[in-house]
Amino acid sequence: MSDYIVEMKHITKRFPGIVANDDVSIGIKKGEIFALLGENGAGKSTLMSILGGMYEPDEGEIYIRGEKVQISSPNHAAKLNIGMVHQHFKLVSDYTITENIILGVEPMKKFAGLFPYVDIRNANRKIEELSKNFGLEVDPTKKIADLTVSMQQRVEILKVLYREAEILIFDEPTAVLTPQEIEFLLGIIEGLRNGGKTIILITHKLEEIKKVADRCAVLNKGNLVDVLDVKETSTKQMAQLMVGREVNFESAKAPAVMKEEVLKVDHLTVKNEDGFEVVKDVSFTIHSGEIFAIAGVADNGQVEIADAIAGLTKVSGGKVLLQGKDITNESIRNRTEMGISYIPEDRQSFGLVLDFDLSTNLALKQYYREPFASKGILSKEEFEQFGSKLIDKYDIRSGQGIKTQVRSMSGGNQQKAIIAREIELQSPLMIFVQPTRGVDIGAIENIHKMMIQQRDQGKAILLVSLELDEIMNVADTIGVIYNGQLQKIASSESLTTNEVGEYMMGAKHE
Amino acid sequence: MDTIIIDGLSFALPLFIIAIGGIYSEKSGITNLALEGFQGFGAFIGAMSAVLIANAFGTDIQNLFYVALLFAMIGGMGFSIIHAVLSIKFKADQVISGVVINILALALTTFLTTQINALVFGAASDKFRLGVSERFTIEGVANIPVIGAVFTNVYPFEVIIIVIAFFAWYLLYKTKFGMRLRASGENPHSVDAAGVNVSKIRFSAVLISGLLSGLGGMCFAYSISANFSSNIYMGYGFLAIAALIFGNWRILPTLAACLLFGFAKSGGAFIAQSMALPSSFTDLFMILPYVLTLLLLIFFSKSNRAPRALGEIYDKGKR
Repeated sequence: MSDYIVEMKHITKRFPGIVANDDVSIGIKKGEIFALLGENGAGKSTLMSILGGMYEPDEGEIYIRGEKVQISSPNHAAKLNIGMVHQHFKLVSDYTITENIILGVEPMKKFAGLFPYVDIRNANRKIEELSKNFGLEVDPTKKIADLTVSMQQRVEILKVLYREAEILIFDEPTAVLTPQEIEFLLGIIEGLRNGGKTIILITHKLEEIKKVADRCAVLNKGNLVDVLDVKETSTKQMAQLMVGREVNFESAKAPAVMKEEVLKVDHLTVKNEDGFEVVKDVSFTIHSGEIFAIAGVADNGQVEIADAIAGLTKVSGGKVLLQGKDITNESIRNRTEMGISYIPEDRQSFGLVLDFDLSTNLALKQYYREPFASKGILSKEEFEQFGSKLIDKYDIRSGQGIKTQVRSMSGGNQQKAIIAREIELQSPLMIFVQPTRGVDIGAIENIHKMMIQQRDQGKAILLVSLELDEIMNVADTIGVIYNGQLQKIASSESLTTNEVGEYMMGAKHE
Repeated sequence: MDTIIIDGLSFALPLFIIAIGGIYSEKSGITNLALEGFQGFGAFIGAMSAVLIANAFGTDIQNLFYVALLFAMIGGMGFSIIHAVLSIKFKADQVISGVVINILALALTTFLTTQINALVFGAASDKFRLGVSERFTIEGVANIPVIGAVFTNVYPFEVIIIVIAFFAWYLLYKTKFGMRLRASGENPHSVDAAGVNVSKIRFSAVLISGLLSGLGGMCFAYSISANFSSNIYMGYGFLAIAALIFGNWRILPTLAACLLFGFAKSGGAFIAQSMALPSSFTDLFMILPYVLTLLLLIFFSKSNRAPRALGEIYDKGKR
């Protein structure tokens, strides 16, 4: 018998219009951290959903501890000691941690030897013990509604541990966490391995793999590319295998050729709903052919600046001028017509209508005018033609072309669709808010390339990002914001990453 | 004063048990506007059984109360299967299903009552005559001022309802069935992920609401109205829904809301009587519970929180 605890042999899984896994074979050893690396849509989650009992494979065999099994349901997987920590938490926010964990496997006791009841007290004790053993630090009597995201994730981990899982699958566990929380989680994962558990880590973040994983399988478009020993492989090699071509972490770009002034923000002040000033007396200008980036720690007012320029937030003081015209009190549509493209931070709520198809989403900012509508009546053909054109031009991938429901597309392709739509407006000013959040490195590279391309064509670009690397990489000018105030505006060559970091923390003043 | 309490309780408690049925259904995530239909159809089955048995065996219909109650529960539960199948199996809109079931119950019970009366008794009537169930008074405690009224002229069904309500609380909050049921109404995905069948839980919750509604409906028929016809239950189902919403989908506060409605109704009747108004004006005081509902809506709407997944069709694939 082999020394593998999990073996998946020749797994193939097809969905309408796509082969999610194509003859994939992997073996996982007991007590290791095995990473599954791949871009969004590479088939990692599908493969693990098969192991977790959510899907049944079309072809292939699964062996657990050397025995051939057919995993028919998550319940069955749990019986085989396989537990999945989902990316989207499945918790009842009104219930306590304990109630959530024991749901479905409630320990019972009898009152007066007759009336069975759920023994919460005993469960509380058991969960507290479990939490202590693995360093999870949770209070089982707290309600989910009062917990942070990272705490909720620990509840999901406890859920599978409570069900005595030996093989734990983590599906993109760090996507929703802050850097400190990620650090803590990776610590927990290592602790679990040292406690004898087998860990499968689905991710597209290379640093995490480098930090904790023992071995790593790389998937690309449903195919297994290679299984690597993490210690002996560089992140660069991994990235290359994952994307299927060489990846440049640094974007090549020519020096900026700045021309006339496009945007002027003059003593801008913005108040939030509570009347608190979140942007205080901010002034800057952006020129044609310039990428101006606002760097800062989250919630320091940078998103409000972008929203004020785009018209989503009211301005309480100061002016916004676009090509010399005062647009401070213009409506959003007028601003769009006058030349602002906007890629919002929350693409699913503000950027797309998830239940509309791709062609409609692509026409969302132009549908009301010729040729998309004539005398108020929409022309289906124009929508479709325009959609097909953009899909080709920007390489937007989806299951069913222009007819695809946007909800079903991957995050990277959703973002591509938004950027395509906004570029097509040919606006002199483009605002990008966190354009690469939650997309994989192949797509990040692509988005950066598009931004630089637009700059070279003479657009003025405002980039708001929390990723310092991204800002150092693409910006021509950097404005650092702290507590609603711009601390420093300087060309990107004149600043080092460290300096920007210090301004971001408010530690250094002009 | 005593009559206000005695009559108020006999109205509030059947309303309360119907509302508990509604709590079960809605806590599991199924909007239930069909309480009135369940109640009416259940009471119809109960009343019909009583009338037919009395006719066949010559029993005094007064003594058939418990038989009627049993059949009413079965009838209400049977009728609720329609709502369960439509909204769970066929994922139909729960509001539409509920409203349609109410209309169906009204039409069906009117038609069937007249037909059975014509066929069996040869009389053209849309009513089943039932009589009023026996009452009892607990001597001793009954003499205490004010509180004593609670123990005076009590219908046996009031005791039954209190016992069932207590059991309903236990089932909902202390057992695993209850825990899963409440979770289904908050986040069905979590229940599904725990390997529990959401549809089964919701199905049983709707059936329980049918059973309890039938029970409540029968109690109304055997007390206040002393007969069954399709217009004795009009509006009570919705009053029960209002009570459970004011009670924030919790059993004890819902009881308080039902008592308030009960006392408003009996109080209205008392005022009308003591002022010796002509009968055409007494109807004006009958609207008191409904006016109260409107007023309470103003104060309670803000602080109330419905189960999170209430009315949402559960679809495994959607995240």
